[in-house]
Amino acid sequence: MGANISQLERDIGSDQFPPNEHYFGLVNFGNTCYSNSVLQALYFCRPFREKVLEYKARNKRTKETLLTCLADLFYSIATQKKKVGSIAPKKFIARLRKEKEEFDNYMQQDAHEFLNFLINHINEIILAERSQSKPTGGKCGAGDAGSPPEPTWVHEIFQGILTSETRCLNCETVSSKDEDFFDLQVDVDQNTSITHCLRCFSNTETLCSDNKFKCDHCSSYQEAQKRMRVKKLPMILALHLKRFKYVEQYNRHIKVSHRVVFPLELRLFNTSDDAVNPDRLYDLVAVVIHCGSGPNRGHYISIVKSHGFWLLFDDDMVDKIDASTIEDFYGLTSDIQKSSETGYILFYQSIDCN
Amino acid sequence: MAVQLDGGGKEDLKTQFVTREGTYKLMTLSEYSRPNRVGYTNSQGSASVRVSFVTLPDPADPTGTQGLGDRMCFNFGKELYVYVYRGVKKAVDLNKPVDKKLYKGTNPTCHNFNQTTATADSAPLLVGFSTGQIQLIDPIKKELSKLYNEDRLIDKSKVTCIKWVPGSNNLFLVSHSSGQLYLYNEELLCGTTAPHYQSFKSGDGYAIYTCKTKSTRNPLYRWVIGAEGCCINEFAFSPCGSNLAVVSQDGFLRVFQYNTMELVGSARSYFGGFLCVCWSPDGRYVVVGGEDDLVTIWSFHEKRVVARGQGHHSWVSVVAFDPYTTSYGDHDPDFSGSDDETLPHNNHNHYHEKANRLSTTSQGIHSNRNSCGSELRVSGGTCYRLGSVSQDTQLCLWDITEDVLRQPMCAKQRPSAAGSSTLPTSGTINSGNGSTTNHHLNNSKHNNLNNINCKENASGNNDSSNNSMSTNTAVSTVNSLTQRLAGLGFGERKGDNHKRNFSLTMRGSGASNSTIIQNSSGDKATTNLNTSSNLNSVSGSLVGANKKVSSVMDDPMRLIGTAWCPRFDECPVLEPLVCKKLAHERLTELVFREDCFVTACQDGYVYTWARPGHMVGPLTISSTLHRPHHHSNPYTNINSLRSNDL
Repeated sequence: MGANISQLERDIGSDQFPPNEHYFGLVNFGNTCYSNSVLQALYFCRPFREKVLEYKARNKRTKETLLTCLADLFYSIATQKKKVGSIAPKKFIARLRKEKEEFDNYMQQDAHEFLNFLINHINEIILAERSQSKPTGGKCGAGDAGSPPEPTWVHEIFQGILTSETRCLNCETVSSKDEDFFDLQVDVDQNTSITHCLRCFSNTETLCSDNKFKCDHCSSYQEAQKRMRVKKLPMILALHLKRFKYVEQYNRHIKVSHRVVFPLELRLFNTSDDAVNPDRLYDLVAVVIHCGSGPNRGHYISIVKSHGFWLLFDDDMVDKIDASTIEDFYGLTSDIQKSSETGYILFYQSIDCN
Repeated sequence: MAVQLDGGGKEDLKTQFVTREGTYKLMTLSEYSRPNRVGYTNSQGSASVRVSFVTLPDPADPTGTQGLGDRMCFNFGKELYVYVYRGVKKAVDLNKPVDKKLYKGTNPTCHNFNQTTATADSAPLLVGFSTGQIQLIDPIKKELSKLYNEDRLIDKSKVTCIKWVPGSNNLFLVSHSSGQLYLYNEELLCGTTAPHYQSFKSGDGYAIYTCKTKSTRNPLYRWVIGAEGCCINEFAFSPCGSNLAVVSQDGFLRVFQYNTMELVGSARSYFGGFLCVCWSPDGRYVVVGGEDDLVTIWSFHEKRVVARGQGHHSWVSVVAFDPYTTSYGDHDPDFSGSDDETLPHNNHNHYHEKANRLSTTSQGIHSNRNSCGSELRVSGGTCYRLGSVSQDTQLCLWDITEDVLRQPMCAKQRPSAAGSSTLPTSGTINSGNGSTTNHHLNNSKHNNLNNINCKENASGNNDSSNNSMSTNTAVSTVNSLTQRLAGLGFGERKGDNHKRNFSLTMRGSGASNSTIIQNSSGDKATTNLNTSSNLNSVSGSLVGANKKVSSVMDDPMRLIGTAWCPRFDECPVLEPLVCKKLAHERLTELVFREDCFVTACQDGYVYTWARPGHMVGPLTISSTLHRPHHHSNPYTNINSLRSNDL
């Protein structure tokens, strides 16, 4: 045994190694770190992992979809004999390249675009399978565009509701509109916290000049004030830091490496007055990190929290890290353009779903 | 939505700013830093730059008015510098430090001079290191150098805070990121083996051990605070020296009676770790700052979070009261701190004192009413000046008046909570104030108008001006008692019940305050305690209650909405008096001195800001300029007043 114990197992301690847990790196097939990093983060979002494995157990023989490939991959990690090692997500990547043209190459992709695609695509697969299995009966609204379909487990995990309130400055009428979200995309400011970025996300903006608001009450375009706040807080709150900005001057996207601190625990300040669960307390469970100087170069890694300690997944490599090293991924305070390792997508999990 | 600040926030820094007492000005010639500034840029990941001061007694200048005896120590990277500090006057030649040290393989993280034993030619200085060791040096006498925890047998983790025990010649307290706090005697050895401990005392969320050896050795005591491995970020002794406030990464503030080692109270952050802590100069309030970007004010006497300050854009790294700008009410400030807490007989005196103060405040409101319309004017109450610096590179100054801190914990309108409770609606709380108040309340979460609510609430009381002074006294006495009893109730009851208790109190604020509150408190005395005899031992039984609720303390979702952690709209939210960007790097230190305040920055610079009237030269200025007299200088709308830039 002794010689076979990996450095990671030694770092964790054989007796401390969580039972039924596996830490497997994912082999890179040429710039697939955008996928590897997101998949690792999702694997350690426990509610998501459990639902994917449940799906695997329920759907023995179906035609291959991106979801079956993901389920096979998660199942394969979860049932490994060894506790640590690496695995090649070959089938998943092949399927991904078939599913979406943009990913069918060896170029670096945006991890957030991939996450967004994956979540939405999985959701569509579930909805499609549901309508197939229940062609007539079941949910009356399945084919009815008027009423929303019954939420899938993807909704249950990631979906929150934003409510946008608009107050017409002419008639003072307040109208509000709800929209679903799977993640919140926030602008980043130098030397701020994610808390502040979220607060800015919900700042009141004035709609004026070219951007006036069509007020139903006044039946005309009017100046108005608008703000977006969170009405339903999701079980897993995914926060995308908008670190790639198009700069006209350079005619390309540049990376914004601003230092944005993110706490291990989070509550939202920007909830609406009628929010269902405004006190929800979140734990940081995973972070996708972008390393490098620009959107189309560089590397993605992820850090995840598992059983109280932190792990760093860099493609096929896995290391235990001290929680204090998380501060290395907040960003840079200096504006000199250089390479940085910065938090890019944060996954906060509500503590009441454990 | 916020617009991206291109250029990365390189907007102009403030070199001066105005508050109600005058203009503060950066003394550009009083800048201290490492003498050789080459390569003085990258500070990523290194320890925070902290500053320690000592004033050496000078036989030629017994009052210290010339400030010749001031010495300053700061750390930067692997280096430690000690300079003669000349305050607002031009800095000394940076190439001539009193002492400098360069360490290998470790960084100094914190330091503290012993003011008690300092003489004209000696100033013992403790230095803690990132690798856990502690050094005692004398930068003036130079011959002293002792090491503690040298072989890291006591603790291997980073030293996060180090302080001499107040008034002690040889005892000091050290906290580590391992979540442990050790008491050392500088005269004792640390031994050549790892210490064996035996349990000495334990309570809710903490345990204290002593060394299990025959001969006395270091550490004398080991305090384990919070969950295992939960970093202690800072601790602070109360001004009287008898209480110790400790803040940790688990988001808890814990306040101990230092000598008896009893936990006397605690609070929980809104979220994330608490990073810094300080006491008000009169020992009545503990202020903490943390990863929730908030400044949280906790009342020592009421054992509850009484207000939060919102103004920083990132984590709050240092909080400090400005004792020179804090003005006290008509009574003598309570410098005894907590002593009355341990002596049950004094409790009544304390309530009485509080009641007196509140009625004085009301009287002030009354007499000013004609001249200022519906605006609330404060006179006679204590006004604390608090400062805070943050990783957002900004300084915030806060004026905190006691009338705000006196607000009972109030459940603001939140329909979402309706399912679980009988929370009163906003209209009930502020009855008589009409639609404007309700309007504010509806928006309060977004617009931070809670201040206004509180003020209107107070003026609402005033409206029913048939409240005689004696009625007010009764109300306030009962009020604070009620809160204590309600706080006591947490131990035995579930969340829903205490909410109802609070709402009983709230409903009283409608037509006739005093009677209903008295009634409800009477109810509580019987229901919560089942006996009315132990009113005098409130503090004692509160500790008992704390012990019983360890499960509540472990579950942050059960703490929300309690005295430990009110919901965000359940306690007053303060706005800063001023909020100024002072640096390009995160600020790491804030010290208020008589003629100036001092800030330090992660890039290794220590800045001195002259107080109003002190920028020319300290000798010509009378001291009244920086001690505003609240009687002659009533100010309005304190908490939302924002002064303009120059």
